[in-house]
Amino acid sequence: MDYDSYPSCSLDARRQAQAGRDNIYLPDQAVIRKIIRENSLVNTYELTLVDELANHRFSFEPGQFMMISMPHLGEAPISFSSSPDSKDGFSLTIRNSGRLTAAVQKLRPGDIIGVRGPYGRSFPTDRLKGKNLLFIAGGIGLAPLRPLIEQRLAQPDETGSLTLFYGSRTPEDFCFNRDFSRWRQDGLDLRLTVDQAAEEWNGPVGLVTGLLDGFPINDGTMALVCGPGIMIRFVLEQLQAMGMEAENIITTLERHMKCGVGICGHCHMEEKLVCIDGPVFTAAEIPDPENP
Amino acid sequence: MIETQTLHKDYLLPLLRKLGKQYRLVGPVRNRFGDTLYIEIPDLDRVDIDLKQQPQNSLKSFFFPQTEALSSYIVDTEPASPTQLYSFHPLLPENRPTLYFGVRSCDLFAVLYMDMIFLGGKHRDIYYEQRRRGAVFVTLGCNEPFANCFCNATKNGPFLEFGFDLQLTDLGPAKNSYFVEAGKANGLNILKKWTRFFTDATKEDRQFQYQAALEARGLFRQLVHVDLACQELEKGNEPEEVLADFSQRCQDCGGCTFICPTCTCFSITDHQAKDQGSGERIRSWDGCTFAGFTRMAGDHNPIDLRRHRIRKRFFHKLKHDVQKHGRPSCVGCGRCVDMCFGGVDIIRFINAITEAGDLGRDKHRGL
Repeated sequence: MDYDSYPSCSLDARRQAQAGRDNIYLPDQAVIRKIIRENSLVNTYELTLVDELANHRFSFEPGQFMMISMPHLGEAPISFSSSPDSKDGFSLTIRNSGRLTAAVQKLRPGDIIGVRGPYGRSFPTDRLKGKNLLFIAGGIGLAPLRPLIEQRLAQPDETGSLTLFYGSRTPEDFCFNRDFSRWRQDGLDLRLTVDQAAEEWNGPVGLVTGLLDGFPINDGTMALVCGPGIMIRFVLEQLQAMGMEAENIITTLERHMKCGVGICGHCHMEEKLVCIDGPVFTAAEIPDPENP
Repeated sequence: MIETQTLHKDYLLPLLRKLGKQYRLVGPVRNRFGDTLYIEIPDLDRVDIDLKQQPQNSLKSFFFPQTEALSSYIVDTEPASPTQLYSFHPLLPENRPTLYFGVRSCDLFAVLYMDMIFLGGKHRDIYYEQRRRGAVFVTLGCNEPFANCFCNATKNGPFLEFGFDLQLTDLGPAKNSYFVEAGKANGLNILKKWTRFFTDATKEDRQFQYQAALEARGLFRQLVHVDLACQELEKGNEPEEVLADFSQRCQDCGGCTFICPTCTCFSITDHQAKDQGSGERIRSWDGCTFAGFTRMAGDHNPIDLRRHRIRKRFFHKLKHDVQKHGRPSCVGCGRCVDMCFGGVDIIRFINAITEAGDLGRDKHRGL
């Protein structure tokens, strides 16, 4: 698809880039190339910046996020869910959970949304090289971990063992299930669990913490955790009870944000700001493990 | 070295008239209701400049307005083109070099704090920068602190040692002059350019200024142990009862955060125009005491409002900013004391956690 065939937006985008190069609050335009349905509430949107030059310059790190804009509905922070090495744009995986995200669900390929970013501290990718990585995800919490999984699978020489424990409500609710067989082929030990089994389900039923029992933790193990707050809390507790150092357990948090760049104050978590000091934190950096 | 002069009070207005040709003027003006507020002064002869009372507002809104449009946007929803087109256009404020005069120490110090928030990080806020660039500050030291002031305890007043372009000190009725110190290049330029208004300061003037600054320190009516409160919080003591009681008394009005010169939190919302196809993205002041401040989609709120509604505000000022910037971000202006009808002000909070060193249990109940 040739996006220069959008006369109003390519011209606009260029003028905008000129006027707004230093303006952190001015969104860029991104066009939806493809929409992938993950489950009844979650879609993955493959996006490209309309401004070609900006698109060439654009890069992000696993764990970072974008502020997305929808007409009349403001902005919301959304994590990248695609490989950072992908050459054709980026993906955001979005759950229908509020007014803005409900409107996102109605978008079609070719539609333009506003985006600002990338923002936030990424996963410590250098520290993770060569380590045995244990990913633990619940529901859409797999989305921010996916760029890292893809990155590590693409660099097998610098990667130890890779394990993913992934829980969801029902078998229909798993996100990225189209990736599962490829990931397994590439060496990821993937184990799934569901809260409620369906008839055709013959895997384990129960919380994702149940899969942790007996998992071998050694000095080279690092855990990466994302999911609902309550899940994060119990997984962090259990991993530490199993002998993992808090510095080796990494999670990514969600907060209400307006600016995304450390100014608006909404995402204060004690002395830290989730948008710039996070959203990626080690378990040692989370002040209130009861309420991550 | 700080350059010193004196300025006869009769020359203040003529000097401001001259400066008004070069700068937009903002200063404390008493209105017909008897309120003193910092306002923009288009005509010096038509306002009642009040250098006696504490202005009710701070300078916050001159750099960071209560509401401002950040950008406009256009949405093309023509039925002929089924795709949604959506573009943004910045709405930057113009840069107007402004001279702020009669500024109290606390209010200038708060601007220096705002500089850190809006300009000190990796990402610069160019809306703030547009308004801030070219600002000149002529401050007025406080010989007599006002009823709720405690800037001695927050260590940014009643007189400043840095940050001002010019600092004025009232040398008393006998002299009928201001002692004038130039702290920065812009202030020095004013002294040099308008020499005819100024007289060299004598040793006696300097002595008087020193004396006035010293005496002012003894005139505070509020005894507020800011350092002690910061230490208590730094130790990790959680004044749970105080927090819960204060949270209950908070009426969710946001007055304290709006009046506070160092409360800089904001929200950004879209305002749709009547034609449906366009709108503006508006930034407006927000307050962490509001119930919706941390609420996320799906109504999840990481803050327990019953216990911790006011925790973020007081901890941010007295603990987290001490950790991050080495000093509390309360400037001791005392404005939140008069503002809050629930008695949930920072003086009461500090007193509640410092009295008797027992985190103030029961002490604050007699509000």
